[in-house]
Amino acid sequence: MDDLHMDALVIGGGIAGMQSALDLGDQGFQVALVERDPSIGGRMITLSKVFPTLDCCSCITTPKMSAVAHHPNIHLYTYCEIQSVQEHGAGFDVSILQKPRYVDISKCTGCRECEYECPITVPSPFDRNLGAYRAIRVPFSTAVPQKAVLDPEYCLWCGKCEQKCPVEAIDFSQQPETFTIEADSIIMATGFDLTPVSTKKEYGAGKLHNVIDPLMMERFLAPTGPYGRVLRPGDGKEPGSIAYVQCAGSRDETLGITYCSRVCCMYAIKQAMLLNGALPMADITIYYMDIRTFGKGYEQFYQNAKAMGVNFVRGKVASIREDADQNPILKVEMTDTGEIVEQTFDLVVLSQGIVPASHPTVSLPLGSDGFISVPAPDSAPCVTGRPGIFVTGTAAGPMDIVDSIVSASAAAAEASAYIRENGSRLEVEKEALYA
Amino acid sequence: MTTQTLSRAELLKQLRTTHAESVKRAQELLKEQKHMQQELCAFFREKPRTVPEAAQATGIPADKVLWFVAAMKKYGIVAEAGMCGDYPLYKKVEEN
Ligand SMILES: Cc1cc2nc3c(=O)[nH]c(=O)nc-3n(C[C@H](O)[C@H](O)[C@H](O)COP(=O)(O)OP(=O)(O)OC[C@H]3O[C@@H](n4cnc5c(N)ncnc54)[C@H](O)[C@@H]3O)c2cc1C
Repeated sequence: MDDLHMDALVIGGGIAGMQSALDLGDQGFQVALVERDPSIGGRMITLSKVFPTLDCCSCITTPKMSAVAHHPNIHLYTYCEIQSVQEHGAGFDVSILQKPRYVDISKCTGCRECEYECPITVPSPFDRNLGAYRAIRVPFSTAVPQKAVLDPEYCLWCGKCEQKCPVEAIDFSQQPETFTIEADSIIMATGFDLTPVSTKKEYGAGKLHNVIDPLMMERFLAPTGPYGRVLRPGDGKEPGSIAYVQCAGSRDETLGITYCSRVCCMYAIKQAMLLNGALPMADITIYYMDIRTFGKGYEQFYQNAKAMGVNFVRGKVASIREDADQNPILKVEMTDTGEIVEQTFDLVVLSQGIVPASHPTVSLPLGSDGFISVPAPDSAPCVTGRPGIFVTGTAAGPMDIVDSIVSASAAAAEASAYIRENGSRLEVEKEALYA
Repeated sequence: MTTQTLSRAELLKQLRTTHAESVKRAQELLKEQKHMQQELCAFFREKPRTVPEAAQATGIPADKVLWFVAAMKKYGIVAEAGMCGDYPLYKKVEEN
């Protein structure tokens, strides 16, 4: 692979990274978008619907993914890892590892014949491992690029996929390849993970089958979800009662995560409303410390959920255990009365908060919360402590989609100013053009 | 043609050697999955059944049955066939 020069390099292809890349690309800059997964889309493409409009998430995300892939100024590198970032004048030399897909993407048509032929079924992280796909597969139905990828961890190297492929796209000879991009600026859009609950023994430490994380519920509510309907993962029962445990992992000294994750109240309310539609007979209870509905139209959304019959109970869930039928039993301290009550549900969702996803090899100062630090959050919320490197979306801190998009455009504007200021190749070219 | 086939076979052999550990794990998994699929398909062929019924009949934990049923449903091996109380029923899809 040839070494390349770009005006900007965006790390992470979630909604924030895609928006930054599109804004810069539209201004005529050459942008490289580097994503570690085989498809772009980030968390947003896995969600069911978005608060507060309840628009279909895939319907909003897929056109953006497609726009990125077809943009003449955006160069997409999926299934890649950043190996190192070195300063080079006012810009950077970024060393990138292209992991082998064992599929020639210039030939693959995404027909999935290889996937149907593959004999081994493996858990799909897209469905939070509750759904399955094959060792060779197209990652999900709206993946961009719509190309197969082979997982060497599960492959038997039996060659069946190669025999089945109608366009001879399977390439077992692929090797990891390293290449360098010289970039004038970098935008960090590496996103978030959920707060870990494995250390939260009082909530079952992730071992109770019918206590799930909120991204699992997003998949159950999505039309392409693992079961095609809402079922509890322990035994396939359609739940008649569902509880949400708010602040499960945020505002929690014991986990060292003292901040509010901002989106959990709203996604819990959204899921409760969607569950109300999917399972009209189900009782839905949200146990909360206080409800934070900070955005435009959010308070009305909350009031609508109450009017629909969702139970909001002010109480702190102290612990969760299960009965002989794997029904979770919640022990709740009612905040207003101090009373302790126990309540059994069919299914429990832990409203886990947001922590930074792993960072690539870019040495940047982090805040005490672990997110990439911005020295002047009030006046320049996308400018990091390192000149030429900007941050957007949940890599900077918990935020919803609307704020991620706004911050992505802000980061693109900062990068654009930086590139121009530092006499980018583009400027030189433009000057030559208009001379 | 022969050289090409031979080099392809050699390449796959080489990959199996390089990935010996993961191949061993995958082979064990495949064996388990084949066995599970046989048992579940036989059970769902008789008449539509729920996940707990399948778990009880086969001795496979219910969560594992559900995971595998979801996979088989995705790839058209089983299909939903109504409800029994709070549980969906699944049946084997017969090939033509
Ligand atoms: C359960 C749940 C429901 C939600 N529902 C809503 C909702 O309805 N409405 C709403 O407004 N918000 C919602 N949110 C919040 C929303 O998901 C986020 O605001 C949004 O997805 C953030 O996008 P992002 O691009 O910052 O991060 P991400 O979506 O996490 O994208 C980051 C991308 O970077 C990639 N990446 C990470 N590290 C690297 C690396 N080292 N190299 C290359 N690539 C890398 C990742 O693979 C990923 O593709 C919800 C959140 C949760 C948890």
